[in-house]
Amino acid sequence: MARNKYDIDETLQSKFDLKQLKRLGVYLKPRRSKFLFVIVLMLISSALGLLSPMFIRTILDTYIPEGNKGGIVFLTCLMIGITFICAFILVLKVKLTNEIGQGIIYDLRKDLFTHLQELPFSYYDNRPHGKIQVRLVNYVNSLSDLLSNGIVNTITDLFSLIIIFIYMLLISVRLTLICMCGLPVLLMAVWFIKTRQRKAWQISSNKQSNLTAYIAESINGIRVTQSFVREDKNMEIFNSLSSSYRRAWLHAVLYNNMMWPCVDIISIGTTSAIYVIGVSMLTGNSDLMSAGILVAFIQYIGRFWQPVNTLASFYTSLLNAIAYLERIFETIDEPVLVHDAEGAGEMPPIEGLVEFKDVSFSYEEGIRVLNHVSFKTKVGDTFAIVGPTGAGKTTIINLLSRFYNIDSGAITIDGVNIQDVTIKSLRKQMGVMLQDSFIFSGTIMDNIRYGNMEASDEDVIRAAKTVCAHDFIMQMENGYQTEVNERGSRLSAGQRQLISFARALLADPKILILDEATSSIDTETEIALQKGLAELLKDRTSFVIAHRLSTIRNADKILYVDHGEICEEGTHDELLRMENGLYHKLYMSQYDFLNR
Amino acid sequence: MSQQNATAIARPKALSKEELLKNHMQAKPWPWFYSFLKKYLPFIIPGLFMVAIASALAVINPMISGKIIDEVIYKEQYDLLTKLLLLLVGLTLLRGLIRFSFTMLFEYCSQNTLYAMREAVFRRLMLEDFNFFNNNRTGDLLSRQTGDMDAVRHFIAFVIYQLLENGLLFIFSLTMIIFYNWKLALALLVVLPFTAYTTFRQSKEVKPAFRRNRDCFSSLNTFAQENISGNRVIKAFAKEDFEMEKFNKENAKFRDAQLASSRVWCKFIPRFEILSNIMTVVVLIVGGFSVIDGSMSPGDLVAVTGYLWMLNNPLRMVGWLVNDLLRFITSLEKIHATYIAEPDIKTPEEPVEMKQFKGKVEFKHVYYNSHDEDILTDITFTALPGQTIGIIGATGSGKSSLVNLICRFYDANHGGVFVDDVDVKNMNINVLRSNIGMAMQDVFLFSDTIEGNISYGDPNCSFEDVERVAKIANADSFIREMPDGYDTIIGERGVGLSGGQKQRISLARALLKNPSILILDDTTSAIDMETEAQIQNELEAVSGDRTIFIIAHRISSIINADQILVIDGGRIIEQGTHDELLKMGGRYATVFTHQYGEFENSVGR
Repeated sequence: MARNKYDIDETLQSKFDLKQLKRLGVYLKPRRSKFLFVIVLMLISSALGLLSPMFIRTILDTYIPEGNKGGIVFLTCLMIGITFICAFILVLKVKLTNEIGQGIIYDLRKDLFTHLQELPFSYYDNRPHGKIQVRLVNYVNSLSDLLSNGIVNTITDLFSLIIIFIYMLLISVRLTLICMCGLPVLLMAVWFIKTRQRKAWQISSNKQSNLTAYIAESINGIRVTQSFVREDKNMEIFNSLSSSYRRAWLHAVLYNNMMWPCVDIISIGTTSAIYVIGVSMLTGNSDLMSAGILVAFIQYIGRFWQPVNTLASFYTSLLNAIAYLERIFETIDEPVLVHDAEGAGEMPPIEGLVEFKDVSFSYEEGIRVLNHVSFKTKVGDTFAIVGPTGAGKTTIINLLSRFYNIDSGAITIDGVNIQDVTIKSLRKQMGVMLQDSFIFSGTIMDNIRYGNMEASDEDVIRAAKTVCAHDFIMQMENGYQTEVNERGSRLSAGQRQLISFARALLADPKILILDEATSSIDTETEIALQKGLAELLKDRTSFVIAHRLSTIRNADKILYVDHGEICEEGTHDELLRMENGLYHKLYMSQYDFLNR
Repeated sequence: MSQQNATAIARPKALSKEELLKNHMQAKPWPWFYSFLKKYLPFIIPGLFMVAIASALAVINPMISGKIIDEVIYKEQYDLLTKLLLLLVGLTLLRGLIRFSFTMLFEYCSQNTLYAMREAVFRRLMLEDFNFFNNNRTGDLLSRQTGDMDAVRHFIAFVIYQLLENGLLFIFSLTMIIFYNWKLALALLVVLPFTAYTTFRQSKEVKPAFRRNRDCFSSLNTFAQENISGNRVIKAFAKEDFEMEKFNKENAKFRDAQLASSRVWCKFIPRFEILSNIMTVVVLIVGGFSVIDGSMSPGDLVAVTGYLWMLNNPLRMVGWLVNDLLRFITSLEKIHATYIAEPDIKTPEEPVEMKQFKGKVEFKHVYYNSHDEDILTDITFTALPGQTIGIIGATGSGKSSLVNLICRFYDANHGGVFVDDVDVKNMNINVLRSNIGMAMQDVFLFSDTIEGNISYGDPNCSFEDVERVAKIANADSFIREMPDGYDTIIGERGVGLSGGQKQRISLARALLKNPSILILDDTTSAIDMETEAQIQNELEAVSGDRTIFIIAHRISSIINADQILVIDGGRIIEQGTHDELLKMGGRYATVFTHQYGEFENSVGR
């Protein structure tokens, strides 16, 4: 799939499907009893609610003409009592529905997040991060209202609809049938609006996602924007995204607002029909009709359309929610490409014998990145990988941590194929320091400890000392407790690298992987660091990708990689001896300038 | 001079009267909000009229129905039916039309107000300085633009007219009751103070709950943001479980905050419910007794009970509306708080007019500190137009800060940075920055095509220009090898590209501006030496009279510089050309030996 950017809508493949709602039902299931209880409560309160009009009628029709003051006081006291009971039920209802709704949202978000943790790099690489975020946070939130009040109200509304329908039937079957003639009209209107509305809300959610992604990226890239004085152009892009969101919203909400007048007009239409037919029956002196029946029926007809109206508005918000729900489930359904094999065992404690056997790999079908790569380390070896940018160096070490599955061949550690063990047990024993040193917001202590949560403060400090980070950390106002901002924005790039280096060391990895881990560190610090590392690396296998040859010169073995193939392999001295070799050329190039 | 004084001088604040007034207007959330809404008053006021008409129609419709029942059915005046029905249908159609129109009108106003607000907040974000972004979390800023904006939308699109509609219904029904029996109406008014008090209490209590709610939302957003962008590290350390645990906490905190605000609401909703029902009781007791005592006619009492629903509903709605209103206020305050954060660094009132720069850069006794930590101390040097300045020094010694001061991303606390003999603080920031091309140490690429990324500084430039700078940066060949060449979309922050590739694109991006001053902050650290040498050759060929600053750790990157600054602990400890510094036998010479000593030894130069 092509990469997505802020101004490309993510098209949804699936069709409108009530299955989405069924899936939501899975989340409702554990809360079934609570849910049923709320419905029972609602039924009780609506039954109690019917009493008040009866009392009022009794007071008006009987007690007042009789002058029965005691009766009035008695019934009003009863009404107050009922009011209190209803209020109590209302509290319970609101409380429970919120618990149900928020609980479902919690679970749904949790599932989504859990799945996101399992998705491969490519998922994150292929779309702006803001678009993932908007699904996890905003879309899930949008379901809140539907889940807390929507469902419960709908069920009670449906229930009262049925009751009223029965009442209407009891009063007059004929009038009820006339009244029902309005329903097909309503269904047609609903059907007409529905298809357009769903589309409209999908577009709107896309536009929202685009806008959010753009804002998120703009905030992250603000430093570049300001240094390139791109503010005005960005404003333009922002405004165009913002205005297409506005347009999409207004379009979608147009259909929402159409629903209410539709129901209202259909309702008044059927009511009029009832009046006309009822009155004509009265004038025709039909036995089936009396003034009393007609009046009673007309009062119920109003009550019939009221829940229909709320149901219709529920339906519109449902369609709105489904647009979000589709996106959420789409993400949850995103296939996890790298996963534990069936019955995979734990990776035994790693000694450090790594072997690539004829490994081929491609990120995208047809474009080979690694071509039949084979090599073997000894336990405790330091392996340096050099070669031009884009040659496949990072890919080799990414495969070792099984961030991707290989196309063919095998990667073994201590003779164990890494595909046969659980990913977690494998990665836990690897210390990877990536090109981009990522710093979390929090203290420096937290950031280093990320490598090993059980590590004591002393362990953390020892690791920091090993990588020569201790001194600068102590110079900061709160030492190890200094809060570094998001992405460590108050640290220099070199300092960030040192901290993530310490983090990797603290994990006490059996295999250490350094991917351009020291590119922003000055030479002197690097030398001190290497001294500290030498002791540590003695029994560990390590892989180093670097461009500074002083960093790799001491490696036990150097692999020169180009175009996804190993071109040369050997120690520094061996490779240097090959006068026409690639490594020789690379090595000498750094001194070219001295001779210029 | 104390540092406070220095900062004060650095920010001249001579504002005109109008601006002061405007600033005053916008210093509070409400006037600020009003300044956006104002423009749509010509829509909102007619909209409110329509709401009034629709509410009146809502009252009239039942009256017509009543008339049909009384006159037509009971009094058998069948000839009236057609007339009354036509009236009823006509009025309902009218009401539907009006209602549809005003709901769309309010949606329209809310979307447009929101558009303007989003724009204003975004524009302000664009102007904020680096310190602001260092101190504000992305997730928080994002929440202001998403969740909080939605509360504003809801307020304009729904709450405003609901307030009026319910207020009108209440007043209307009360007036009718006064008309029938003023004593009864007076008795009903007894409920009002209680309602007012409950409203007051609710708004007091619900506000902190909402604030907490918003904070938890932000915090969830921030966590999600960090998790998503840190996904590589999380996977590399197999820390998914830890992240999930942390997320569950955030998720639960947000849920609990939501539940807590609904609890406050739970506390008050029944009070409104009871108060509204008490009105019915008052009508029945007071009205009933009056009828029995003969001071009121039974017909009037029946009529009054007909108005009860109109009286009750608004009271019932109060709790909901107060809720929505406060949610809006909380969000508005949050958005506004982001908006009023004044950037410390901005263009002065009357900047010195400058167009094309010659490229002379001068530091005069510059001191800079941040978080009580001295970053730069007494930096003094001059770079003449066309010179190349190499900067080398330990990690965290202040190299990046030094070049950031040239672009005025931060302000010096003391001393001055001069470009072409003008203090950068007296320049138009945009003019200053347009003349400086900077490739930053943290390469940030946008999720856009490669071409879009390179032409970031000048989106309208020709493809040939993009290609030309890509060639200089030695990026053209690898770009062409990609599946879609220059049209390849790269992921956020340039994921999918190697460090060296990213650096080369960022270099090309900086070159495209054709700047008078070019700053390369550790731009070639991830590039192999062969490529670096090629880039240097290309650069030299096009450098002309550009002033170039190169920060690097490899001596090879800066060896040909006209001047090399060796920085340590925020001070310039050595300064000179490569040969001079080697002769000096100081720090620079040591670094050189470390990097090339072996060569000296083995080749015996």
